[in-house]
Amino acid sequence: MSDARVELDRPRCEGHGMCEDAAPELFRLDDDGVLEVLAERVAPGLVLKAENAVRLCPVAALRLTR
Amino acid sequence: MKDVVIVGAALAGVTAAGTLRAEGYDGSITVVGDEGVGAYARPPLSKGVLAGRDAPESVVLPALPEDVSVRHGVRAVGLDARARRVLLDDGGALRFDGLVIASGSRARRLADDGRPGQHVLRTLHDCLTLRSSLAGRPTVLIAGAGFLGLEIAATCRELGLEVAVVDREPPLRRALGRTLGDFVADAARDNGVEVVVAHSDSELIVDDRVRGLRTAHGRELRADVVITAIGDLPNVEWLDGSPLATRGPLRVDDRCRIDDAIVAAGDVCAVGGAARTPHWHSAIGQAQTAARALLHGDAAAPLPHVPYVWTEGHGLEVKLCGTLQPGVEPVVVEGSLEDRSALLQWLAPDGEPLAAASVNHRMPLARLRRMARPAPAASGPP
Repeated sequence: MSDARVELDRPRCEGHGMCEDAAPELFRLDDDGVLEVLAERVAPGLVLKAENAVRLCPVAALRLTR
Repeated sequence: MKDVVIVGAALAGVTAAGTLRAEGYDGSITVVGDEGVGAYARPPLSKGVLAGRDAPESVVLPALPEDVSVRHGVRAVGLDARARRVLLDDGGALRFDGLVIASGSRARRLADDGRPGQHVLRTLHDCLTLRSSLAGRPTVLIAGAGFLGLEIAATCRELGLEVAVVDREPPLRRALGRTLGDFVADAARDNGVEVVVAHSDSELIVDDRVRGLRTAHGRELRADVVITAIGDLPNVEWLDGSPLATRGPLRVDDRCRIDDAIVAAGDVCAVGGAARTPHWHSAIGQAQTAARALLHGDAAAPLPHVPYVWTEGHGLEVKLCGTLQPGVEPVVVEGSLEDRSALLQWLAPDGEPLAAASVNHRMPLARLRRMARPAPAASGPP
């Protein structure tokens, strides 16, 4: 199991959905446009995808910690 | 391919690097960026960071992995296309098999002579300079009533400052159409912004420093702080002397290619014969497309782009997907503009969707995007 975890700074999130496009396994905007982090702990096969996704948030609301 | 060089370390450059790795490329990647800091989120620069609500460090994006070599503070100054080398300002050169040009753009100015007192807002450095200028409670004048100009105006109002914006045409008509553009402009006026439509270019009033703007009709507008927010210019000058030299944007095909070994992405380029779309979301799609085209050539998918832009301020949060056509006005699908919460859709004369916008109306972006393009031949439920 990878130790990578997604951290969301929720007050910053504006619901632009770029993370959802990049890693739909990990992020989803719900019916109200509120971001859900689907798996806070990132499976090893998804770490690269998660890294790429957190790097394109237009408000820098996402981090990957390990 | 075993050596990829990426010129530009902002969003497009780092997204290209990340995409190359995600696509399984395991050769070397070298990213050069002249800014001296890593990629950062630009949208908050006109809002939270300028207002002092957000710390400057808070916009810095997570760094690239260690198997990507990033050289900050180094500028590309030339391209030797035949020898496939990028020349650097420190005298060095980087040889490449594949090159991603993501050198971005810079703020356009009304006068380029470096006279003090003309602010722009493009980089984190610009933002911090402007922020300190706003600390003394100055009056503010903004040339350009586009998204950026009106967002800066909103932040000035938040700080309790007196602010005017000047533009040649009514604000945001081109970006948002008449109905929505005028709605946002009215919200800015209601928020205390003086909106001046000059109907032609204005010029700077300059003595030892920039003092204000003079419209073509001779009206003089003066303020303690003058900001130009009149768009951006692609950074292409470093390509002078190479076969890619151009005075306009770098023109690339629908896979973001110049040739098999050179691709471009982000604010520097114009894709597939269309105009440049210097926006955050465009840079991501272009960088992903460019990286895949570099690796897979014609087998890579063309840019699948539905443009997406947004703006915030004066009590409004507006998100727009798609491309407007002149003269086409939206229908209200949900809510109403009077109630300041609405979902709008623009339809072509033949009924095909062109664009959709949410105004203070939270919803999944995917739904907004579906409303902004023709339905595929066989589609699931909306």
